[in-house]
Amino acid sequence: MNKIIEVTNLRKNYDSLTAVKDISFYVEQGKLFSYLGPNGAGKSTTIDILCTFLDFSGGEVYIDGLDLRRHSQAIRKIIGVVFQDSILDDLLTVRENLTLRAGLYTSDKTEIRNAVYEAVQTTELGEIIDRPYGKLSGGQRRRADIARALVHKPKILFLDEPTTGLDPQTRKSIWNTIKQLQSKNGMTVFLTTHYMEEAAESDYVIVIDHGEIAAKGTPAELKTRYSSDTVRLFASDEAGLRQLLHDQKLDFTMSAGEFVVKLPDTMSAIPVLENCQTCISGFQVLQGTMDDAFIGITGKELRE
Amino acid sequence: MMVFMKRNLKLFFRDRSAVLFSLLAVFIIIALYAVFLGDVWLDSMKALANVDFLMNTWLVAGLLAVASVTTTMGAFGVMIEDKVKKIDKDFYSSPIKRSSLTGGYLGSALLIGIIMSLVTFAAAEIYIVLSGGAWLDAVSCLKIVLLIFLSTLMNTSLVCFIVSFINSNQAFSTVSTIIGTLIGFFTGIYLPIGSLPASVQTLIKVFPPSHAAALFRQVLMEAPMQTSFNGIPVQYLNEFKYHMGVTYSFGGHEITPLVSILILIGTSAVFYGLSILNMSGKR
Repeated sequence: MNKIIEVTNLRKNYDSLTAVKDISFYVEQGKLFSYLGPNGAGKSTTIDILCTFLDFSGGEVYIDGLDLRRHSQAIRKIIGVVFQDSILDDLLTVRENLTLRAGLYTSDKTEIRNAVYEAVQTTELGEIIDRPYGKLSGGQRRRADIARALVHKPKILFLDEPTTGLDPQTRKSIWNTIKQLQSKNGMTVFLTTHYMEEAAESDYVIVIDHGEIAAKGTPAELKTRYSSDTVRLFASDEAGLRQLLHDQKLDFTMSAGEFVVKLPDTMSAIPVLENCQTCISGFQVLQGTMDDAFIGITGKELRE
Repeated sequence: MMVFMKRNLKLFFRDRSAVLFSLLAVFIIIALYAVFLGDVWLDSMKALANVDFLMNTWLVAGLLAVASVTTTMGAFGVMIEDKVKKIDKDFYSSPIKRSSLTGGYLGSALLIGIIMSLVTFAAAEIYIVLSGGAWLDAVSCLKIVLLIFLSTLMNTSLVCFIVSFINSNQAFSTVSTIIGTLIGFFTGIYLPIGSLPASVQTLIKVFPPSHAAALFRQVLMEAPMQTSFNGIPVQYLNEFKYHMGVTYSFGGHEITPLVSILILIGTSAVFYGLSILNMSGKR
């Protein structure tokens, strides 16, 4: 196991406010790592620090064995960043944009041309390479942004909410590209996201809230720990059902006229249903989701 | 740094409206003279020979003095855009030195100012000849090119200093419009320095770009002044020079070209220093 990013007691103070409070975590090489949190939790601050863009107030950060404080220039060569905002030039074509930005890393012309070609292939931009960036659709822009981040073949790819604001289909295809970069090219991917289904597909998740780590683990671990499976019962005889559940020593809550019972796993629904058969007109068994886990952890909805 | 400069140049010249707008001061001055100011001057100096040629060269000198102010200002539009759209984040997270970034913005502004001034100069020479004047001789041409370099160098430093305080598109376009409009006053182009009250005259004389204007006038108007004032007592010529801002006097002493050149160089040094101080302090 190789820790490509290692953060120890990271702290960032703004004038009167502490945006990040003594966070520690590490990222394994070649893994897809999700950084999750509600708005204002400190996600962008952390990513800005890791991308050498923002100074930090305390703690230590090592990226690929390099001290972020002392070797920021060396780190910049091995990281690629996809920012939340578009960072390419509207008036230049995709090719011009990529060629210029590749020129920030090397001055070898053939190397630049090959790198641009490869980045374009990976992100499937071939057809629109000579169109001005400003005339592209949202999804195409995002692809171009990713191509920009790949143009110097980084070891680590940082993405700050890469799929926010895209339609569901485009989101899916961008997500597939990201997944492929990680699985095929073995790139380490560090992303912040708003979408649970994306976090659920990553190797490791950290949930941050109020500048502190609220929970961490694999998606499966988080689901088990912070969300539970439930059965929802539609009562035909409310008083009877209440009595039956009470007899079985099952806790329940009422939601929209339905009885919601928490279960250790979905299979446990069967005996409950058998016992309550006479008093219900229908039921629904729900598996815990990352959404539930997130609400369980932070106590708030993520997408507002 | 070269890659970065190339990008800035491309971005500037590809935005046609920005290029056009960067010549704002030039257009204002031409329009003012085409519409009414030109006739006023010609009427008052009808007695002189070849007065068209004389006035045209005077006007062109003024244009050259301010062209690099508004064009470099326009060039810094790219820097503001990068700040506003947060495009600079991308550069800060790539292995290019911050000093190279600042250098890239400055270098491209300087280059744009020089290119646009040279274009203005070429167009103006053609206009002068077409309207009955003569071509400028080779030595004077060389002097003008050198002066363009020097005055652009200084104007870039002044503009850069102003722009380093700006953080939004709106502020930027307001400031560039104000500068583009007022620069003609402060360099004694809308109205010659001699026709203004003493306090304003002093203001013009301490405003560094006015010295670039005077130097341009001295070179461009040399030949036409000789023709027009041929056979007229020299005191009239001297009076004309002071009135039109070809030479300035300070407390009775004439300011020599050398002093004007030193003022340009000194101003550049001071304001480049201040701008770099102001730009590098932020993070």
